[in-house]
Amino acid sequence: MEESNARFKVITGGPLEITGHFRVVNANGKIIEKEGPVFLCRCGGSSNKPYCDGSHKRNGFSE
Amino acid sequence: MSDPRNRQYTNGEITVFWIPSKCIHATTCFRELIEVFNPGRRPWVNMEGAPTRRISEVVNKCPTQAIVWKHNKDLTEEEKLGNRREAREEENPETLTEAEEKKRVKPASVRIMKDGPIVVEGSFKIIGANDETLKPALMTSFCRCGNSKSMPYCDGTHRKTGFTDESI
Repeated sequence: MEESNARFKVITGGPLEITGHFRVVNANGKIIEKEGPVFLCRCGGSSNKPYCDGSHKRNGFSE
Repeated sequence: MSDPRNRQYTNGEITVFWIPSKCIHATTCFRELIEVFNPGRRPWVNMEGAPTRRISEVVNKCPTQAIVWKHNKDLTEEEKLGNRREAREEENPETLTEAEEKKRVKPASVRIMKDGPIVVEGSFKIIGANDETLKPALMTSFCRCGNSKSMPYCDGTHRKTGFTDESI
């Protein structure tokens, strides 16, 4: 059970890093990722959503 | 007309409506105000658990409007009647029991909500910035718009700021 746990790391001022056992489904119900690590945008500014493209460094995202 | 699973709760001043079909288990309500919204209790909403203003504040944060509220003076006749009805048996807002969770070996489900948060369900851990494990949950939702006031979680702000996700 432990090894199947997905791990969500909240990177300060940056994206959400997902590793482990998970599946990412987009708004249309399509599976877009099965294997990690995956970095998802948290700042709202990525041009490649839902993924991080480094925009948080330029738009001054802080929390 | 309305879903028979819907429920309403009042403290005499306001009425909170619960629409289970809209609930994506963002967990905002009980993370913010467990005194009122407690999935482990029946009924799961206790309107005496906090002042009216605090209840309405937390209800407003529901990302999918699965809980909404109204002043009692603004209720329709049908809604007034609903407040007088006996409390009926409810569906559990948390769909997994602890035993079911232990048996579960499915990968964690990560759903990207259109113009909304990242909703996570299943078996997972959340690690904070200092490598500490944050409060465990079966379901949670992470902010994607960058403007939540309860980072890293969604608080519904994306609806106010008009966050859009053109990529989906």
